[in-house]
Amino acid sequence: MSGQFRPSRRAMLKVGLAGVATVASPAILRLTAEAQSGPIKIGMPVALTGPLGTVGQQTKRGAEFWAKLQNAKGGILGRPIELLIEDTAGNPANCVRKAQEMVERRDCRLITGITLSSEALAVVPKLGEWDSIFISGINGDGRLTADSFVPNFFRANISGPMGTRAVSLYLRKSNMTKFYGLGLDYAWGHNSIGVFEDEVKRGNKEFIGKIFAPTGTKDYSPYITKIRQSGADAVFLVMQGDDNNAFLSQAQQYRLPEKVKLLTEIVDLASIRAVGDASLGLIGSSRYSFTYDQPLNNEFVAAWRKEYGNPPDTFEGEQWQCMKVLEAGITKAGGIEAAKLRPALEDLEVESVKGKVFMRKCDHQGVQQGFMVEVKKKAGFDTPVPEVIATFPGEQTTPPCNAMTYKD
Amino acid sequence: MSTLALLLTQTVNALSQSALLFFLGVGLTLIFGLMRIVNFAHGALYMLGAFVGYSLTHWTGNYWLALAGAPVVVGLFGAAFELAILRRLYRRDAHAFLMVTFGLALVVGEAVRLTWGPDALQVPAPAALAGVVFMLDEPFPVYRLFLVATGVVVAIAIWQFLERARLGLLIRATSQNADMANALGVDVKLIRSCVFGIGCGLAALGGVLAAPLVTASNGMAGTVIIDAFVIVIIGGMGSFLGSLIGALLIGFVQVFGNYYAPDFSLAFMYLVMLAVLVMRPGGLLGKEA
Repeated sequence: MSGQFRPSRRAMLKVGLAGVATVASPAILRLTAEAQSGPIKIGMPVALTGPLGTVGQQTKRGAEFWAKLQNAKGGILGRPIELLIEDTAGNPANCVRKAQEMVERRDCRLITGITLSSEALAVVPKLGEWDSIFISGINGDGRLTADSFVPNFFRANISGPMGTRAVSLYLRKSNMTKFYGLGLDYAWGHNSIGVFEDEVKRGNKEFIGKIFAPTGTKDYSPYITKIRQSGADAVFLVMQGDDNNAFLSQAQQYRLPEKVKLLTEIVDLASIRAVGDASLGLIGSSRYSFTYDQPLNNEFVAAWRKEYGNPPDTFEGEQWQCMKVLEAGITKAGGIEAAKLRPALEDLEVESVKGKVFMRKCDHQGVQQGFMVEVKKKAGFDTPVPEVIATFPGEQTTPPCNAMTYKD
Repeated sequence: MSTLALLLTQTVNALSQSALLFFLGVGLTLIFGLMRIVNFAHGALYMLGAFVGYSLTHWTGNYWLALAGAPVVVGLFGAAFELAILRRLYRRDAHAFLMVTFGLALVVGEAVRLTWGPDALQVPAPAALAGVVFMLDEPFPVYRLFLVATGVVVAIAIWQFLERARLGLLIRATSQNADMANALGVDVKLIRSCVFGIGCGLAALGGVLAAPLVTASNGMAGTVIIDAFVIVIIGGMGSFLGSLIGALLIGFVQVFGNYYAPDFSLAFMYLVMLAVLVMRPGGLLGKEA
């Protein structure tokens, strides 16, 4: 029949596409709506096990406490917070895989809580491809805001170079002249020891030598012997977790602190509890301590004690600060999309448990004051506690933009 | 520090580390020798020993009781595990044991975290061992000398037990030919439970002795299990004397390697293992050599 309507192939294609679009649109709309109004998913690929498991457990608790309080207040922008927590065992390859799964399978666009700097350094090159923001709560390696900086990375915590700088500023006034360095044999350890060496030399003091121990070292006697032999007045430690505990315990057994002063880049409360009196006299920079006398900190410590029965630890406080910065950024951006959140976080100033934190635009480093503490016995506490012995303004402790070393 | 003082202190250090490694290695090798099971949970049981030691020290206020009690508690746990789980698997191939002991490692690790919390815990050395002695004018911790002495005593005790005690004889017999031992009336099942328990108890002894050096922590298991396997592979799977030689070799390689070439210290251990395997594929005193 010549007058019969026969649709052309092009028309059929159009109808087909329209049909597919009609069927699929609710799903697309739902996904878009979920990204804009569903729960705010925050991915945390954390080292919950392994030698730095104690550190990862702290960041996890810090974030969980924040999420709990925030959800009780109705979340952010009316959206509940959902933390996606996975164990990486401190392995950079695991960390990238877990983060990728969070982004690609669970539609998560925010990452935080990564434990090791080596893990963070492995993740940052992927952030652009994932269209995700990673805000560091504890990662120390200076390269993250210097050579390895990417626009979707932010650091709310005190970096390794900043902690090291606080120590070196403090040492400028001391009569110690000869220094040795002991760091963990991975990114953060090498970076901070390098910055310390540079600072010591610029302060016209003598840097005698350095040594690096693999994570998971059980016997520190060869390292202690080397430090003792070096003739240094003080040794600068860049250690954390089980290694830090093992070193401090064994150093005391060898009476090392009687001959060589122990300085550290991080005075960690969990380590102090784990080694007890072996931490007495330790001087170092502090990333966070419950003893900071700041109004917001006192409030935070009281809430934490009520929840957990003990004061918050170093990385619990650091991660808490990070979550508060993220919270302020999301609120300001009105969403979690990287294109909105990135400019919102840039030049954002937040009042925090450590005072003001200013997320400077040039390299996304949080500018904040530096603390020097000494571990002492204090009435009312079972274990020694860090007491603030000096503070330095953020402008003095933060390196120039995209740099790890200082000019003065 | 004079060269002599350096060599002396580092040698005693190496002996103290070898003692700790020996407790791990000998337990692993005893279990393998008798049951042909590669116990992946050995590191976790070493960690469990440290935490049980921590609790016993706290409850009793006495480290010595913890030192005696933790291996017994973990040993009984090991024997019960063999009785309840492993015994059902002897007819299966080696993969079943691999999966089950790996599973045990995960369960013990998580149970320790849930029971004692995620933080490292302090187990101080007893007051009598907390001091130092001077070796050629260099201070040396008494506790490390105690570790060396304990290593010697335990090594001699195990050797004498295997050579002279009736149970030791039965263990050796079962290890050589379980079917024949069974035919001669030996209760092979009981022997297996005993050996698994003794191996686990020795791992726990290592854990409780290591705790004053490294604290009791959730990360302990992962850092020792590789060392333990390397020792057993070097010494020869199933050889008591081999595990002793392996522990000494690795103890010295680690201590002197960390002192003279810290950048390559990790590699040295594996290089020694490779060299041994190239020369004697079954290990120094292994049966397949």
